[in-house]
Amino acid sequence: MWESCTDIACGNIFALLNEGPLTLTIFLHTVIVLPMFFIYFQEKKRVNEEAR
Amino acid sequence: MSKKNASVWTSIRFWRRSAAWVTGTATVLLIWLTFNTMGQISMGSDADLANGVKKRIPAPTVINYHIDYVMDQKRGHEVPVIGQKEPFFGKQWSAEEAAALLHHGKLTSQAKNCMNCHTLLGNGAYYAPDLTKAWLDPRWEDGTMAAITGKNSKEEAMAEFLMHPSQYPTHARMMPNLNITQDEAVALVAFLKHMSSIDTNGFPRNFSQNAKRLEGGTNAH
Repeated sequence: MWESCTDIACGNIFALLNEGPLTLTIFLHTVIVLPMFFIYFQEKKRVNEEAR
Repeated sequence: MSKKNASVWTSIRFWRRSAAWVTGTATVLLIWLTFNTMGQISMGSDADLANGVKKRIPAPTVINYHIDYVMDQKRGHEVPVIGQKEPFFGKQWSAEEAAALLHHGKLTSQAKNCMNCHTLLGNGAYYAPDLTKAWLDPRWEDGTMAAITGKNSKEEAMAEFLMHPSQYPTHARMMPNLNITQDEAVALVAFLKHMSSIDTNGFPRNFSQNAKRLEGGTNAH
């Protein structure tokens, strides 16, 4: 699953995140989208409380 | 009871928070990426070369070193390997001299509009051969061009060719005479040698194989 880093900048955080099947694009999108679920449920809770 | 399941999708606050999160995170990431890239795109120093520190873009004094183009099995493409010192036009160039020479070469390449026909580091045309790794072309390396131009070294042969390209029909599409002077030719060769030492992640792809396969031809289709 994990390929050895083939770039010349292997110590770089973005090079590490770019290894194997977990590409930088997928990683960054995951990092951005996951907290949006948190925002959604927090707002849902707030909206429900206000509606009561 | 029905009010308990009020929709979040119509909540202005939800959309505002989501937009702020995405925009804010993307902004921070892009700024971080920009500064993170600085180390990769900045030129190395003379000390890096002397100490064998690999930089993607070596110092101008790389013209004082032998440059090889070697297949790296791990990376899956050829990479420039900076070897032992070798004279460039019969001498070793100081850091200041090399930087000035490279600058002159760059200005000459722009003044003579090389990109009108050639490609340099991915920019330019494909009418004439890609110049990114021109210095490493086997035809200059194996003595063919030195013999044709009657010169003793690769750099002198290259400079001679640049000054009188129409005298040496080496390519299917002959290069026109651009009235390049001796000084400009030396600077251009230094510019080309430095460019070939840049680690371009294997660009142009399969350079050495194509150079042999398309000998005297062109990779423009």
